[in-house]
Amino acid sequence: MIKKIKATIFEKIIFVFLILLAIFALSFTIIIKNKCLFIKEINLQKINFEKPENIAILNVECGNVIIELYPELSPNAVKRFKKLIKSNTYNNVAFHRVIKNKLVQAGDIEFGKKNNLDYGKIGTGKSGLGTIKSEVDNEFDFKKGSVGLARSLKYDTEDSQFFIILEDEPLFEGEYTPIGKVIYGIEILYKIKYSHKSEYVLRPDFINTFKMLY
Amino acid sequence: MFVLLFLTTTAKSNTIYNLIKIPNLEIYELNTNNNLKYLYAKKPFTIGIQNNISCDNSDKKTYDEKFKIISKNLDRYSKKFLKKINLKYIVMCENLSISGINTAGIPDHVMKTLIVDLKFNKKYFERVLHHELFHIINDGHKDLFDEDEWIKLNNIDFKYAKCSTCTKKIGLDTYEKTNGFFTEYSKSIPSEDMAEVFSHLIKNKYINTNDIILNNKIKFIKDRLNKIDDTFVF
Repeated sequence: MIKKIKATIFEKIIFVFLILLAIFALSFTIIIKNKCLFIKEINLQKINFEKPENIAILNVECGNVIIELYPELSPNAVKRFKKLIKSNTYNNVAFHRVIKNKLVQAGDIEFGKKNNLDYGKIGTGKSGLGTIKSEVDNEFDFKKGSVGLARSLKYDTEDSQFFIILEDEPLFEGEYTPIGKVIYGIEILYKIKYSHKSEYVLRPDFINTFKMLY
Repeated sequence: MFVLLFLTTTAKSNTIYNLIKIPNLEIYELNTNNNLKYLYAKKPFTIGIQNNISCDNSDKKTYDEKFKIISKNLDRYSKKFLKKINLKYIVMCENLSISGINTAGIPDHVMKTLIVDLKFNKKYFERVLHHELFHIINDGHKDLFDEDEWIKLNNIDFKYAKCSTCTKKIGLDTYEKTNGFFTEYSKSIPSEDMAEVFSHLIKNKYINTNDIILNNKIKFIKDRLNKIDDTFVF
């Protein structure tokens, strides 16, 4: 006959503790894995845009980032940017250069496409549309969320690559062509994958889609 | 005000390095009327081919004192003019040298930068600022400041040295009897001679004399500056 053994109070406490630990570990793993967990979704229907024709929607893993473009400030750069957006050229393009809490950069459509990623050349690609002149004469305060066209060390080498700054960069005025500003969803960009060792990211995050509102 | 500025300026070394390729710099002052951006060395830095250019950081007192002097002098150049000559960043540091030779300043019109040695020759510090600024102008407008044309303004038997550092003619005292040159250093090479004429004009160190050579040199500099910016006033 098997003798029934009654659990002591101590054993019961240990058992409950182990159950709680397992629940905690599971929840923690889910939270850690889901980097977008606390990101609020933006309802575009509820927003009244003053100039809807200048609103671009950048969709990434954690949601939509709403950017207002400034054609009156940098007409040629915004024209180029809109052209690339409207032709869906930026879809599936990598955020190849990311500096934690400072800047995200994407738009290398030659070497940064998801199905054609070239780590050796990423950041040097061209759009095939040619370079455009820098538009840096107008005053522009490069505050957090500002969007600009990237260039090489020389002026007038802007093409398709763009950056969004995640903190104020007062020295950028006169250096880079401003094209717009994030008006909603900046917090989403802080979730873009970065590397602690380098500005260039191995297995980077990608733009899902980039569209104009109209 | 300056204490506050030192405390509140955020670290921007990486951004600055990305823009002008000089490490260990921080922002000193950005809000200036002519849009010049003043930076200071927080730590010593080396740059250039084989790191042959070096400069040390200075102390807060020196930065504060010299910033006042530098900005007072450079405020006379308009935003429009500075954009035309491609000067935007002033880097303040001390013991500036190229290949071990001490120098007052290093102009780089490509990077839009003028590095200034804060401890260089107190007596002529202000004039030297304009001298170095002229090199920015000259380097970006070599076609305008034709050295062959300049050489012809001198007496036919006068010869410049082969380079500015391969001569012992480095005196910066202004001659009482000019005889075609403002200083001994003017006799080193044409571009230094031009820079000396420019800096003397800016600092009003020129008393009109019958020195025909010097008068022609002054006319040369004024005419060329007028071509760059017809609103420029000496």
